[in-house]
Amino acid sequence: MELLQLSLLGGVLALDATSVGQFMVSRPLVAGALTGWLLGAPETGLAVGAILELYLLVSFPTGGSRFPEGATASVVAAAAVGDGSAGAFALAVAAGLLWGQFAGETVTWLRRVNARLVPDPATGPITGARLTAAHLGAVAVDFARGAVVTVVGVALARPFVNGLSESWPLTQDTTLGLLLVGAAVSVGILLRDFGGFRRRAAVFLAGLVLAVIGARIL
Amino acid sequence: MTGSLSRATLLSTFARSFLIQGSWNYRTMLGSGFAFAMLPAINRLFPDEATRREALHRHMELFNAHPYMTNLALGASIELESEGADADTVRRFKMAVRGPLGSLGDGLVWATWLPGASLLALTLYGVGVPGWVTVLTFLFVYNAGHIGLRVWAFRAGLAEGRAVGGRLTRADLGGWTERLQGVASLLLGALVGGTLLGGEGLGFVTPLWIAIAGVAGLAGLLIGHRTWRPAAATVVAAVVLIAVLSTLGWLG
Repeated sequence: MELLQLSLLGGVLALDATSVGQFMVSRPLVAGALTGWLLGAPETGLAVGAILELYLLVSFPTGGSRFPEGATASVVAAAAVGDGSAGAFALAVAAGLLWGQFAGETVTWLRRVNARLVPDPATGPITGARLTAAHLGAVAVDFARGAVVTVVGVALARPFVNGLSESWPLTQDTTLGLLLVGAAVSVGILLRDFGGFRRRAAVFLAGLVLAVIGARIL
Repeated sequence: MTGSLSRATLLSTFARSFLIQGSWNYRTMLGSGFAFAMLPAINRLFPDEATRREALHRHMELFNAHPYMTNLALGASIELESEGADADTVRRFKMAVRGPLGSLGDGLVWATWLPGASLLALTLYGVGVPGWVTVLTFLFVYNAGHIGLRVWAFRAGLAEGRAVGGRLTRADLGGWTERLQGVASLLLGALVGGTLLGGEGLGFVTPLWIAIAGVAGLAGLLIGHRTWRPAAATVVAAVVLIAVLSTLGWLG
């Protein structure tokens, strides 16, 4: 039952990423929280989602691009994190990052399938009903893809995380530090995208100082 | 001219625009989704079977742009079809706008608004704001811009038709992107400060890891997007290696 629920959640969130709406409930931060909530551990799910969100800040759902699929990756990671111990957390994030790459490849596959699903005017006249059926059919295939990718990912990631996390030797702070090294790259890339350090140094540093002061007050 | 179309028809087209990428493919890209969104208007504007089919076929041709900004082309195409523009005019118009709508939308939404909304939520989380508040804040802020842009683009297209380029220039989306990138940079600094120096949401991190993360951030800043995959792969490999070695009893 739980796998079915996760699978349906993965299918719906995969749709949101590109095919339907793009309200961004598919972003890791939201997907992780929703998965955690579904499994009765919203804070752990949110923490996993926050780390993956940091990694995938520079991954945009542009139509033609190839990108790691954050939605299914986050469901898989948040479902695999289990007790949320340091080792389980690190391994779940790693599993999510790996699975996101694979899920991204299935999006490429889907787009090739869609090219065959969508009728070609060059091969004969097309009616509105035929176009509608093909378009909604493609949406249904995307949902099924997201659901299958999620359930297979969870089935593989859970034993992987459980099997390797018990003797994890690093403390929680060190584990978090290790994970944040990769996420820091995204921060650097974003600053470059926003205009570069020279151009944005003043506002970037102002934000940093404000946050430190704010955190002390809170 | 779109006065010949009912409000319900226009609303139906607008609602369908949320599914415009539903059959995105490498042959027509957004083309089939564009025609799917245009269907309610096409059915009303072309009661004759043959002309309706021709209209459907021309809107199924290759098209690509940012999905939200595509609403501008959608509205303008409805206006063009309503005023009886010939097929070549409609085709040329769509071909002319797809590049600008793609680059303006990608810069404004994907490269600025989306990461900006994420950074706001992550910063709040980093300084200890409750998780559900950060998630709801992200969804509210992002979608205020998202839905607002879709509505504006559709209405601008309907109002201006083929002259929509002037409206696009006056809207100064490039300038908005520039200003929002400044705000996003502030949030980026706040995220770094909140997470690494003073936050509770992600825990405290030791100075050694802050230094290593600083070097990683510098690599991202200097090299750009090419650093992302190697960095993510290195972290994944390190985590798996540590876990395997410790499981085998080779690490303390």
